[in-house]
Amino acid sequence: MSEDDAVEALLLARFEGPVPDEGFCDAVMHRLPSRRRRHAWPLAVGLVVGAAVCWLSLQSVPLVRAGWRDWLSGEVSAPALTLLLVMAGISLLTLAWTIAEADDRRSEPGLQQPVSH
Amino acid sequence: MTDSADQARVDQALVARVLLADDRRAFEQLLRRYQGLVRAQLRRLLNGDHASADDLAQETFLLAWRKLHQFRGDARFSTWLHRIAYTCFLQARRKPSLPSDRHDDEAAQQTAPSHAMDLHLDIESAMQRLSAAEQTVLLHCVQLGMSHSETSYVLAMPLGTVKTHAAQGKAKLRALLADWHDTDRKEQTS
Repeated sequence: MSEDDAVEALLLARFEGPVPDEGFCDAVMHRLPSRRRRHAWPLAVGLVVGAAVCWLSLQSVPLVRAGWRDWLSGEVSAPALTLLLVMAGISLLTLAWTIAEADDRRSEPGLQQPVSH
Repeated sequence: MTDSADQARVDQALVARVLLADDRRAFEQLLRRYQGLVRAQLRRLLNGDHASADDLAQETFLLAWRKLHQFRGDARFSTWLHRIAYTCFLQARRKPSLPSDRHDDEAAQQTAPSHAMDLHLDIESAMQRLSAAEQTVLLHCVQLGMSHSETSYVLAMPLGTVKTHAAQGKAKLRALLADWHDTDRKEQTS
């Protein structure tokens, strides 16, 4: 047995092990709140309504109309390029926001990060 | 398939049942599987204060219930729980009602134990001479049986720091115990 093993054996012998239940689980179960269910439909409705409102408010803008028309006809014009760049920018921003949110949720165990030891 | 892999699969299935079917019994099974070790962890961190440890353990499981959708399965479920418990401990320690910084300074100034003490008391006293970080790392790495990377996840401490604290803690324990036993032996022979 190495010296490290001997120290570990001493530490393990000192550890009392798992604590017996003694009514702990019942007390916790008694305090559990009901779980709120998450519905997906508000998000979907919000996306559709948002896109529709956006389209309605932008279709009266000449640059957008010209850009959309040129894009549909396959013409690479300044308005079409502007529209493309704006759409690409918004997509990139959304992608960055989604990645940041996903990263936050993955690194969170449910509480703020431990900071001291 | 190893035992731990089987256990992880069972945990995942129980978590899925809670999330998809709002199955409280599945959560109760998770609770019964891990309450013992989480409470043992908190009792050690709180220096044997059973009442405060059990309060924090309740808080830990209630938080786990509320945040269960955030469990991704990257770590073992037990490791995730231990991390929540440790974070609850740190938050509670910042409040004035809990005794803070159990060891460190005053423990370091304690006198060496009587040579007549048995080995159990020796290791107890030796542990109190380690820094708080070394004690915490040894608790998780050795007594709770976690790997270095799991300990790093629970304590949110860099892996290298965990390894350093573990090695230093063990080295200090070896030295302290060896010193006391050498002195003890010399006294017995003289």
